[in-house]
Amino acid sequence: MGIQETQYDGGAPARTPEAGTGVVAIGLARSFGTVRAVEAMDFTARPGEVTALIGPNGSGKTTLLLMLSSLLAPDSGSISICGINPVDDPRAARARLGWMPDTLGVWEELTVHEILAMMGRLYGASKADAAARAHELLKLVKLDEFASRPARVLSRGQQQKLSLARALVNDPQVLLLDEPASGLDPGARIELRTLLRELAGRGRTVVVSSHVLAELDEMADRAVFVAAGRTVSEQRVDDAGTRGRRYAIEALDREALTDALEHAGIEFTLPAGTRRAAAVVLLGSEAEAAALLRQLVAAGVAVVAFAPAAGILEESYLRAVTTSSDPSTRPTPAEEPRP
Amino acid sequence: MSTSTTTRRPDDEGRGGERRSGSALGFWAGAGTVFQLESRQRMRSRGWYVMLAVWFVVTALVAGLAAWTAGSEEGFGQVMFELVIGFVLFFGLLVAPALSANTITGDRAGGTLAILQNTLLTPGQILCGKWLAAWVSSLAFLLVSVPMIIWAMTYGDVYLPAVPVLVLLTAVELGIACAIGVGISARSARPLFAIVASYLVVALLGLGTVIIYGLSFQLVKGTAMASEQIWPDDPWDDVQYNDQGEAVDAHGEVIEDQEAYFAEIEEKAVMNYDGQDFTCGKSLSRITVYHTERNTWLLAANPFVVVADAAPVKPRAAADDYYGEGPMEAVSSIVRQSQRGAAAMDPCLDGVKQPVVDETDLAGTAPLWPLGLGVQVVLAAGLLESGRRRLRTPVKKLARGSRLA
Repeated sequence: MGIQETQYDGGAPARTPEAGTGVVAIGLARSFGTVRAVEAMDFTARPGEVTALIGPNGSGKTTLLLMLSSLLAPDSGSISICGINPVDDPRAARARLGWMPDTLGVWEELTVHEILAMMGRLYGASKADAAARAHELLKLVKLDEFASRPARVLSRGQQQKLSLARALVNDPQVLLLDEPASGLDPGARIELRTLLRELAGRGRTVVVSSHVLAELDEMADRAVFVAAGRTVSEQRVDDAGTRGRRYAIEALDREALTDALEHAGIEFTLPAGTRRAAAVVLLGSEAEAAALLRQLVAAGVAVVAFAPAAGILEESYLRAVTTSSDPSTRPTPAEEPRP
Repeated sequence: MSTSTTTRRPDDEGRGGERRSGSALGFWAGAGTVFQLESRQRMRSRGWYVMLAVWFVVTALVAGLAAWTAGSEEGFGQVMFELVIGFVLFFGLLVAPALSANTITGDRAGGTLAILQNTLLTPGQILCGKWLAAWVSSLAFLLVSVPMIIWAMTYGDVYLPAVPVLVLLTAVELGIACAIGVGISARSARPLFAIVASYLVVALLGLGTVIIYGLSFQLVKGTAMASEQIWPDDPWDDVQYNDQGEAVDAHGEVIEDQEAYFAEIEEKAVMNYDGQDFTCGKSLSRITVYHTERNTWLLAANPFVVVADAAPVKPRAAADDYYGEGPMEAVSSIVRQSQRGAAAMDPCLDGVKQPVVDETDLAGTAPLWPLGLGVQVVLAAGLLESGRRRLRTPVKKLARGSRLA
């Protein structure tokens, strides 16, 4: 592909945050019986940033988050949450952690406010402080009108908001969110994005796992890609534009477009099953894209659309996942790398 | 949108308890919050009140039927009181595992356990809060039965020193059943398994001990040589009869007023009667005895035995005065009789006179309930401890088929 990416096979991450801040995990592995859920994962999340954790179903995202949230001990590897090893001192880590699981657990008969107030008390807050904090959080996630309703009447999206508020109850330094946007309506998604950006802006470390990549484009500063229990790549979202990206080009006349592309010496594919005269090309940078567009217009091609074929993270995701699932590029311990 | 303003300082709160690693959740503050979480959930479910109402009706029926059968007989209060206690204990043992065995497996299935584990709570606090919540709920059943206890006390003959002991020990037994349920619940991945296993353990105590005791009779079977009892100065032995069956005096003369003579002898016999005053004959015959003094301890951990055996017994006027003995006292006297063992089975063993003891006289037998309660406490504590290990996080070994969240 000719594109530079950090490829991991168990080495130390390229950039680590200052000691004692954020999340650093190195060489994590965890099996459940014979299933190796996480084989070799490195993960870094810095304070002041939103870090996206991206990977297909069953790639070990949730297992990784369980290890980071101090609930699951890794078989090997080390974790640091704000400089604390959660295996050695889980309570100290938990005082600084907020974790929102992918499963929704609520105490159905308790009211929304009670749940948050009780959770606050479980972090050692006084009754009054916990109640005040609960009010504050309900306003924050826009659930204040449901404060005195039992949790069982909440819709899935509202439960999701409650779960987010619960994760924030101890004003955590590190926030770990497993699929926080699922079940949220578009408005709530935008609110979630704003909230997470704001938390990052206040120096918190925010980790978000999600499948909805388009949304992470807007929100995340960095992305860590995992597949089949391994970290496959890590990149800054800002840098993603300088890496290879696919563009879809549409023109009124299909032949004119393909001729011009051939003339320019650019490889293209014509996706089957589309009604339009479109070609997909792989370009190295945004500058290259601008140059190609200029060239096409100059050649008299009637271009009607020229745009990235997919979101930045989707692009990276597809690349990461296809690379890792290609057996020839995955180093196996038994094999020496080919010279 | 603006985020929080309160900053939590780790050492503001928390008196006593664990102060490890700067976290600030005192033991009782944490356990208390878990207790509140549990209790509020329960208090707000309709099913809970339905159960209490059904319970009230059923205990009232039992007490009412008993009262109706006895009419206004005197000395019936004690029987009715013990009946209510026995009934509360029996049904309490059925309800307690149901209340407690789902507390942790239910949270596991519902996804709320991991949330609790992710706070500053320790496994001990989670277990303690849940156990106390289950216990207090089961005590509500005892509380609902109080009107029936008061009803029994209006008969006026209830032996008052036994009342607090029976009520307290019943409460303790319910607490032990709840601890068993909570401990098993923490250990198991599936709610159904936890409930069935808790019932089996409680049944092992309630029924299993009796069955094992029964089966063990074969092991304590033995033989002994018994001989007949001889009552030396029974005035009837001195009475002599002629061929016609008439009583005669020392000279062989028929006594004129037979009836007056017999009445005189009878009066003498009653006056001289002493249950201990016999000797054993010389001719021995082989009999089968059961050395129950060796296997009675098997009954110790039975909740009914613990409660009954701990209660003081009303002093009786006479040794054979069983009138007004309630079911709990009956359990206690059966156990004490069993403790005396083979020696109490025949008054003359191996030609040696055995001391005759009155059944309700507890002297000479050691109370069995401390052993029983001890066994139960060790069992419950063992289950709670093994449950506590299962709740520890970060989890190293995850039980098959269970998931964290």
